[in-house]
Amino acid sequence: MFDIAHILEVLIESYPLFMKGLWITLKLTIVSILIGTGIGLIFALFKISGIKILNWIANIYIALIRGTPLIVQIFIFYFGLAELGISAFWSAAFGLAMHNGAYIAEIFRGSIQSVDKGQTEAGRSLGMTYGLTMRRIILPQAFRRALPPLGNQFIIGLKDSSLASFIALSELFSIATTQGSRTFDEMTYLIIVGLYYLVLVLLFTLLVNLLEKKLSAGE
Amino acid sequence: MKKEMIRLENLKKSFGELEVLKEVHLEVHESDVVVLIGASGSGKSTLLRCINFLEIKNGGKIFIEGEEVDPKTHNLNEVRQKVGMVFQHFNLFPHKTVLENVMEAPVRVKNQNKAEAQKEAQALLDKVGLADKANVYPAKLSGGQKQRVAIARALAMKPDIMLFDEPTSALDPELVGEVLATMKELAQEGMTMVVVTHEMGFAKEVADEVVYMHDGQIREKGKPDELFNHPKEERTKNFLSSIL
Repeated sequence: MFDIAHILEVLIESYPLFMKGLWITLKLTIVSILIGTGIGLIFALFKISGIKILNWIANIYIALIRGTPLIVQIFIFYFGLAELGISAFWSAAFGLAMHNGAYIAEIFRGSIQSVDKGQTEAGRSLGMTYGLTMRRIILPQAFRRALPPLGNQFIIGLKDSSLASFIALSELFSIATTQGSRTFDEMTYLIIVGLYYLVLVLLFTLLVNLLEKKLSAGE
Repeated sequence: MKKEMIRLENLKKSFGELEVLKEVHLEVHESDVVVLIGASGSGKSTLLRCINFLEIKNGGKIFIEGEEVDPKTHNLNEVRQKVGMVFQHFNLFPHKTVLENVMEAPVRVKNQNKAEAQKEAQALLDKVGLADKANVYPAKLSGGQKQRVAIARALAMKPDIMLFDEPTSALDPELVGEVLATMKELAQEGMTMVVVTHEMGFAKEVADEVVYMHDGQIREKGKPDELFNHPKEERTKNFLSSIL
């Protein structure tokens, strides 16, 4: 079953096909992480705002997302947005972004609250507004602290993007399953696609580590 | 008569059930150095924090430079620009260099031009003896150096009043002197200062008025010589004998 020569052969042969899938997976991951980070930041600020209605909105959003399977969310987005003429790619991207956003909101909330209260007081005592203190003093420190769990969430987001194959998006995993069933060689293709994800995750980890080093000025 | 800088009338502050300040009256005039002393929990720090509205009073009135400041209607950010604050734990911004710490508020709050703000920040660092540390991050500084940067940072907003909340309490004993020297220099230049401290030497030497607080109230105040050498109240005597 694990005929390495055969796997290598198929790996090289299927390379152009997988590259197309890789490109879609990367686009999907990057878009959904960027939007998800924005959503996460907004809901984190809602949660720490101390304004009841904003708290409620954030809590309901997070409870809904965490309380339901991602695959259900992706299908709801897919069927819901298809009616509005939005493509499979963008419905998957929004679905994944909303999903990641809930987890990222909790990451940001935790890291913002972990910054010493004295930092806010110092900013305010200098005449800085709440918004300015948040933007210039608290968030840069919070973001630095959020990086390790954020990197982790990004990796989960990358792997979760494989669920988009269920809505007929030809990303990495869907190429593996279609090729596998076409050639009756499922296991080989599954191993190959696993390798693709593994390499992507390792590269991603490296990138996050570099960013962490770069942002640790002053420590 | 010197200009009135701070007046507290009947100031009250509670945290839940706990009454921390009970009807406090205090006046501070221009160029005065007022030192607040008292046991921990007596309300000194809370009093200071009420003056720049880091704590919001529950009752009474606060006048800054003759004008009553009501947190509900006043822009507190503008008031705070006039009232600088130095904290026990420095609270420097760790992700910014010393120079950036000092420049931050003038550039972002007063929209001062960067080159000009940098020149002034350098001059302030020079004044507190840290010109050579301008491009260093706070983590690389000693406690005494951090506190002097914090003083420079507050001064960069050109405040009319400076509040010091136990500025030397978190310092190793050998570093206390350099911070007190900087504060003394500031006092000699005529800065209006309200200082919460346990440094009785500083109070004796620099204060125009020493205020003894106990249990959320001002129990006794007077010139340092009167209060330290001839305290009228039994409590003040007990407190002084417990620390001297």
